[in-house]
Amino acid sequence: MGKAYVITSGKGGVGKTTSTANIGTALAMMGKRVCLIDLDLGLRNLDVVLGLDNRIMYDIVDVADGRAKLGQALVKDKRFDDLLYLLPAAQNTDKDALNEDQVMEIVNDLKPDFDYVLIDCPAGIEQGFMNAIAGADSAIIVTTPEISAVRDADRVVGLLEQHPLQEQPHLIINRIRKHMMADGSVMDVDEITHHLGVELLGIIVDDDEVITTSNQGEPVVLDPNNLAGQGYRDIARRLEGESVPLMSLDVEQHPSFWQRVTGWFKRS
Amino acid sequence: MEATTLKGTQDGYEIILNDQAAMDAAFETLEKILDGLKTQMATSDKHITFDIITGNRLLTSAQRQRLENIFANYQLFSIHKVISNVITKEKAQRMKDLENVHILDRVIRNGQEVNVEGDVLFLGQIHQGGKLFVSGNIFVMGTVEGIVQAGFPNIESKFIIGDIKTAQQVRIGEQFEILDDSTRSKIKTNTVIYVNDLHTLAFGELEDLKQISPKFFNQIGGTING
Repeated sequence: MGKAYVITSGKGGVGKTTSTANIGTALAMMGKRVCLIDLDLGLRNLDVVLGLDNRIMYDIVDVADGRAKLGQALVKDKRFDDLLYLLPAAQNTDKDALNEDQVMEIVNDLKPDFDYVLIDCPAGIEQGFMNAIAGADSAIIVTTPEISAVRDADRVVGLLEQHPLQEQPHLIINRIRKHMMADGSVMDVDEITHHLGVELLGIIVDDDEVITTSNQGEPVVLDPNNLAGQGYRDIARRLEGESVPLMSLDVEQHPSFWQRVTGWFKRS
Repeated sequence: MEATTLKGTQDGYEIILNDQAAMDAAFETLEKILDGLKTQMATSDKHITFDIITGNRLLTSAQRQRLENIFANYQLFSIHKVISNVITKEKAQRMKDLENVHILDRVIRNGQEVNVEGDVLFLGQIHQGGKLFVSGNIFVMGTVEGIVQAGFPNIESKFIIGDIKTAQQVRIGEQFEILDDSTRSKIKTNTVIYVNDLHTLAFGELEDLKQISPKFFNQIGGTING
């Protein structure tokens, strides 16, 4: 029996979809069976990030309304032999096309066949959010170090307290710019975690590759040398119960020529 | 003793519904008394109001309605008030709540609103965008980064005491103050916020509380030094 996680944030554009795609891919790379559900009805794009947009036949609303079987709507990612599947969102309906019971039923149907069901939640806290948390066992809250994102994450944590899931929520801090955190111009990891009072699952550094790879439909975790990808792989390992130390955020200091020269003459 | 008795006092007429009698019997006797009274006063057009004393009985809303229906039959008679020795547990609890100091130790997050009847000793955290509305006084020992209101919704005699330097807004009754950098610099750690005689919010110091409101210390009650 697998576990369902909802990936949510409140605010839009903080990286919910990218995180869903990357965590799912990272788990599949570890040999786990993963199903990703896109619940951003009307504005689906998890399929694009995964490079599966051209394979979609049916969507989640077709399944909920009985026009298609669940198995028919699942899109298989051929890069991972029978491990990674996507249940795409509908494009021509609005967020109210599904209700909580329908989503819960679909998630419960998927859980026995998969190790992980990851639900990509739409931005906002309306019906789409309620649908997304209805089927989930636990939540992963994505935020960035910006005040506006943290404020919305705080609101979402509050809503999750009112609709408690089986497990306490987890936190991912995304798009960390090391130098800004180092010079104190944004909230640092400890501050955000302490403020929200949510257990930290992982941190992801801001990296241009995330955008490039997402444009190519290949999640950044597939790049073994990328730091952001490393962050997502660490998160997947933590979900599996491994204890992985948090990535260091020290800014590398390149000593200037004269610093090095004076360094030679310093008494050690 | 009769199921219902009529009594004249200095303040007017009282009708006592005996709490030992059956309700139906009490109402029947009441009708008889009122009928008798009506014939006695046939020539007068003086309006009479009655206090209804129910003793150790609390009328249900149906019984109360029946009482009012009976009086509706008599043009000149009406009910002044219904007095009972007893109250419901709910009402008693509410009265107790209003007197109590509630200890609140939780996080009030962005978008959450917490309403409390009575006074609050706040030990938790209010995040930016969180709201705490209290009908009584607020004593802050925790962290307030959101909005606090004492005397909710419109009681101006209440206080907010403690460190509210980091709050976004403080309100007492209908008066409010938006805290920004210029107001914050004036606020001390142990502040008493109150509504002054000019009906504006004022920031005082804890040491001056006795001057600000001598009554405040009387209100607390309880026994000090035996």
